[in-house]
Amino acid sequence: MRSSGRPGVSEILEKINFRAFVESIIAVAVGFLIGAIILLAFNYNPAEAYTALFRGGLASIDNIAATLHYSTPILLTALTFAIGARTGIFNIGAESSFYLGAIAAVAFTNIWGNLWFGLLMGMALGALWALPAALLKVYRGVHEVISTIMLNWIGWYLISWLIVGPYADPNNPIKTIKVPENARLPTIGNTVLSWGFIIAVVAAILVYFILWHTTLGFGMRASGYNQRAARYGGISPRAAMMWSFIIGGMASGLGGAMKIMGEYPGYAISQGGSNIYGFGFDGIGVSLVGRNHPLGIILSAIFFGMLKAGTSEMQQTGVPLEIVKLIQGIIIITVAIPGLYDLLKKGLRRAA
Amino acid sequence: MKKKSLFAMLLVGLMALSVAASGCIGGGENTKGAIAIVYDVGGRGDLSFNDMAYLGASRAAKDFNLELVELQSNSEDDYYKNLETLAKAKKYKIIIAVGFMMTDATKAIAQKYPEQKFAIVDGFDPEMPDNVMMILFKENEGSALAGALAGLIAANDGKNKVGIVLGMEIPVLYKFEAGYRFGVKWAEDYYRQKTGNDARVDVIYQYTGSFNDAAKGKAAAEAQLQNGAWVVYQVAGGTGLGVFDAVKEYLNTRNRQMGPPFAIGVDSAQDWIKPGVIIASMMKRVDVGVYDAVKAAVDGTFKGGAVELGLKENGVGLSTVDDVMAMFNSLSEDTQKKKLQELGFNSKDELRQYLENTRKQVPSWIWQAVDELKQKIISGEIKVPAPTNKDRIEKVRQAQTWQEMEQLAG
Repeated sequence: MRSSGRPGVSEILEKINFRAFVESIIAVAVGFLIGAIILLAFNYNPAEAYTALFRGGLASIDNIAATLHYSTPILLTALTFAIGARTGIFNIGAESSFYLGAIAAVAFTNIWGNLWFGLLMGMALGALWALPAALLKVYRGVHEVISTIMLNWIGWYLISWLIVGPYADPNNPIKTIKVPENARLPTIGNTVLSWGFIIAVVAAILVYFILWHTTLGFGMRASGYNQRAARYGGISPRAAMMWSFIIGGMASGLGGAMKIMGEYPGYAISQGGSNIYGFGFDGIGVSLVGRNHPLGIILSAIFFGMLKAGTSEMQQTGVPLEIVKLIQGIIIITVAIPGLYDLLKKGLRRAA
Repeated sequence: MKKKSLFAMLLVGLMALSVAASGCIGGGENTKGAIAIVYDVGGRGDLSFNDMAYLGASRAAKDFNLELVELQSNSEDDYYKNLETLAKAKKYKIIIAVGFMMTDATKAIAQKYPEQKFAIVDGFDPEMPDNVMMILFKENEGSALAGALAGLIAANDGKNKVGIVLGMEIPVLYKFEAGYRFGVKWAEDYYRQKTGNDARVDVIYQYTGSFNDAAKGKAAAEAQLQNGAWVVYQVAGGTGLGVFDAVKEYLNTRNRQMGPPFAIGVDSAQDWIKPGVIIASMMKRVDVGVYDAVKAAVDGTFKGGAVELGLKENGVGLSTVDDVMAMFNSLSEDTQKKKLQELGFNSKDELRQYLENTRKQVPSWIWQAVDELKQKIISGEIKVPAPTNKDRIEKVRQAQTWQEMEQLAG
């Protein structure tokens, strides 16, 4: 057990992180470059468009608030994916844990209008929803991609019904009943940003701490590298996988709860779930860009949030939304390529 | 080594691009200010609601020599940010939010930026600040005409069912449904008095839950046609485009070019989309509403609060062939050419002729009857119910005669 002692690991990590950071910066530059070429091809002015994009994301208190506001939910769903990836699991169940967190917030805060109760129940339901996939994986070897996709659909139809059925607002059928006022996440100043962002960052730091500074986390990462070796070293991969799903589910459930409890000015889920759909999937991209590292995820979530927040300013310069999304998609793909490459390399190595 | 050179190339490339880019900055035209419009998630290209809003805004921009800035919303999370971006720019005479979904965000932003004028289409909030004009329509009145037309066509052909396919179950759509039901029952009564024969026409209705899923609309209409619906009224934006497909296929399988059964369009004069299939459209003149809001902002007569546009104010009504051609002419030249080719017409006149022929499939006394109802609603002799919640629409659904429904129009 002395081949690569633990102090050495952190050194390697630091090196990798620096490399990863440089790679990401280059990738961002490449993405913007390709985007600029496309903008030119469509006869738009890239300099003007990009200036607007950054202005919309960063140029004032309101815009920074919008950036952080957009980055909050995807930060948490990215954590779900990252915890899974570190444990060697391809967990894409963040999407449905997010739904369950959102509906839990609506349902339980209307029973007891307490902020922390709402957040707690969101986490609990998110974890609960991840449990079937965890049990199937651990005790029956069912591949998590299959089970989480199925759970995503089950979750989607479940909440679709809850939104139009028991929790529909009789006076405003396009939304669910609102989260009561004393259970809402207060906004910071006169902006759209709620304290949810701070909670999300704390959650990321907590996940980092669990993964790198606890026995449990060491076990999770060890079984992620090599299950047989981990078992040989006295670590239970089963327990590691169970915890990975549960902590992951909690993160996304918290994200869903905060999405609704901090959603100024509506504080409700819309019919068709349009304001809670897709965050789990976006989280996968955020996680890849952040190299499945909780601290990297904080940065990449803010980057994604900035792109979203800059969309309206970019449109104001005359670039249609479809082109804006195209450019953003290209940037995101190029930024994610290094992370994706690492993931595939790992996967291939494990398969070999 | 390799990496370094790649990076250097990138930098050079970026520099070259920025130089190239700075050379082609497009200047603004000589306008006297600007207006802005924010679309709902459905966005442009729905051939109804959002496109009508654009029509009104672009016409106003041309008439008053203003620049028009358009923002689309990618999802609901963008409403607030889009409106705030525009309000912060402090250069728009008025910002128009298209769609009831933006009500909350508009209210919040209007409170935050009290100096900025706003207009919202279809959105209503009793506590809306007074820098917001709420443009509302009496969809119930227009839909009553659609219902009368549908009911009379069905009764005249000895059929006993008509259909209506709706989008999301929202208060605005209750007004459409109630108006349609009212019209159908009025048609029953009219037919009885005119011919002395008894007629009973029932309404089959379905809420599809979406405004941009044509497949859903098609499936819903197919089911209704199977059930014997003789006319299907679509009130579902982009979802409703599928209703037209369903009726067209129903006709095709019976080797017919023209209805009945017919579809009825909504929001804009949609007859040109499938001539021969669409007998008429219930026009909701969002363009008129938006145009008037811009005009008010320009000439200083802007007032906050609700503005309701009904048959009398020309805010709603059934499309005429002229309306359809005007709508068709507002499309881009390319689109017009493509569409004519697709329909197999050599000229717009042929399209017009075909639309006229479609309307001739329905006896002229029916058109006169519909007009009669219109006049009675305008004069206030007949009142159409406008339910805005579930309990009220339920009462309308249970009513057996139009007189009963009128009682509910308190």
